[in-house]
Amino acid sequence: MSSEPSGTNIEGEAPDAGPVVETDEATITEDAELERTLGLTGGLAIGIGTMIGAGIFVFPGLAGAEVGTAATVSFAVGGLIALLVALPTSELATAMPKSGGGYYFVSRGLGTLAGTVIGLSLWLGLVFATAFYLVGLGFYALDALAEVGVTVGANPGLVVSVIAVLAGAGFTALNVTGTENAAKLQNGIVALLLSMLVVFLAFGMLDSLGIVDAGTPPGEARNVWSVVPVMSVAALVFTSYLGFAQVATVAGEMRNPGRNLPLAMVGSVLVVTVLYVLTIFVATSVFTQDGLATAGETAMVAVGRELLGLPGALVIVVGGLLATMSSANASILSTSRAIYGVSKDALLPRWASRINLRYGTPHVALGLAGGPVIVLAATRQVQLLAEVASFLHLVMYGLMCVALVAIRRDRPDWYDPEFRVPGGPVVPVAGALASFGLIAFMDPTSIAIGVAVVVVTAGWYFYYARDVKLRGAL
Amino acid sequence: MTRVLVPVAVLEGATVSSGLMTLLGTVDVTVLGYHVLPEQTPPDQARLQYEERATSALEDLVEEFRSAGGAADHRLVFTHDREQTVNRVADEVDARAYAISGVTGDVDRLLVSLSGDVAVDRVLAFVVEVIGDREVGVTLLLAGTADGAADRLDAAAERLREAGLSVETRLEREGSTFDALMNAVPDHDAVVMGESAPSLRSLVFGEEADRVASASVGPVLVVRADEPTDGDAG
Repeated sequence: MSSEPSGTNIEGEAPDAGPVVETDEATITEDAELERTLGLTGGLAIGIGTMIGAGIFVFPGLAGAEVGTAATVSFAVGGLIALLVALPTSELATAMPKSGGGYYFVSRGLGTLAGTVIGLSLWLGLVFATAFYLVGLGFYALDALAEVGVTVGANPGLVVSVIAVLAGAGFTALNVTGTENAAKLQNGIVALLLSMLVVFLAFGMLDSLGIVDAGTPPGEARNVWSVVPVMSVAALVFTSYLGFAQVATVAGEMRNPGRNLPLAMVGSVLVVTVLYVLTIFVATSVFTQDGLATAGETAMVAVGRELLGLPGALVIVVGGLLATMSSANASILSTSRAIYGVSKDALLPRWASRINLRYGTPHVALGLAGGPVIVLAATRQVQLLAEVASFLHLVMYGLMCVALVAIRRDRPDWYDPEFRVPGGPVVPVAGALASFGLIAFMDPTSIAIGVAVVVVTAGWYFYYARDVKLRGAL
Repeated sequence: MTRVLVPVAVLEGATVSSGLMTLLGTVDVTVLGYHVLPEQTPPDQARLQYEERATSALEDLVEEFRSAGGAADHRLVFTHDREQTVNRVADEVDARAYAISGVTGDVDRLLVSLSGDVAVDRVLAFVVEVIGDREVGVTLLLAGTADGAADRLDAAAERLREAGLSVETRLEREGSTFDALMNAVPDHDAVVMGESAPSLRSLVFGEEADRVASASVGPVLVVRADEPTDGDAG
């Protein structure tokens, strides 16, 4: 870049920035090289693995209870918005294939204030998302206990909290002490989940369309086909689509990023959108709104039982455990990468990105991810956690689209993306409007918490890093 | 000039034995300092913290190689995948061979394995070049039951003798090629072998050269196959 970041924070630390050359196989800095080891499969596994948990295993009950089969439209809208953002993100990521993802693009395109707000909100947004996945995991663990005949007494809610907190502590500890081959395990889990879901959904579709009769009750959900409820459900379930941007956080580690990044981001959005829409269609065909509302977070287990009996229920319980674990684990990792991004640019103290010698893992950043996750997971507020996570991500998505428009307008000479969004500024502008627009349909409490986070992070910028300059050659 | 890549796990206190340094005094050396990170750590994050320490260790190593006689430079790579890094850098610097640095004193006798499907010509040419006009003996080892093995071994030995080397041959008809190699190791200070094509066996047990290196303790020089291997798996 022709104009380097400069300035210092109040502790006198400056952003780390040297001349860097990106090739398809490595990033070459002045004295060292960073190997790119992740392929397309790995990128897709991160995207799909982060996204597949919530939309299929937690939201169908909640969303179907609100608007019935119309929730298919809510999920489709969410997928469309994700796609409108994924395309601009792909362009930015191929121009700046570095760790840090959305934070990096916003800080280079729109300056340090926007960068600080997005960097810190991304950290906290991921914390909320991780807590949400962990609560989902808790509900599935409760159902798993029920399936094997363990009853948990008078206060199942407390059990969910305890399980969520233990799982959060477990994943943090696992990531600090080193999970050898975690990525390969993640790939395996994603492949297993996909094949389970395809079989399950195929059977569910045949049943819904009346080709096969599994003896399910003739459920006719009262469907609410009107704009406001459908959109507010879309705002709630948008958490299901947060994973594609996590692919951008590992952009610095991906081989041939010009090809693999857009494919992984757009591909994972398309795959999960199709799966979500089919899942919600099957779920709302099998059960009425009231039935889904009663079953709550683990309604899919009941759907599986109706379709395929006990084996169906077990498949969903196992799938739900795996999927929520994979989402939670992937999000904790992304959180620590988000913290590294801002710390490298001197927006957080440098010690936040230290690596310990024994395991080679970023223990401070993982702790800053895991600690608040555990606190939030204990609250068990599924909808609130999901919406705040969505809010903070939507702000970032909107600003990424704005950053793309700003960078394209100024044409700095370092900006040379291998992938370009077709159609000029139409897609990024639509992406920005859709992202900000969806926020309007959220619950007021979630909006209030989200706005509070943004205000606090902006305050942190003025206190800590006012002199840091991150903008590219704009 | 022939170039040899010497990968060193630079932040784990790994170093290069003086015997290997002396042996490679006749060729150009690229010291590849690498640090393997777990998947949860971005390579750049480690660079931020360890670059200076690693670079200074590498500069010391390069200085030692230079005083042993050859031209030397260094590269520093932070990676999740050691093998991919070694292959990429070996391609980039056009290295004829790479070394797995083991423990050894002065190298007086080399064990050269011609077993299996290796490029014998390249291995022999490399041996001639490395030894140069020094007093280092060579044992050629061929394990296998194929017809004409003895003839192949003799032809290879003849070629080295013409280049002025002192050569012994060893033909093993029984047991696995790996066992044959291990039985011969104790009388030698270093092993030279050819890079073999990836096989199911190497997937299960790991790269053959790495197994030889860990079982023999001493250094292993692996002469790369002609075609650059494509590191584009996974």
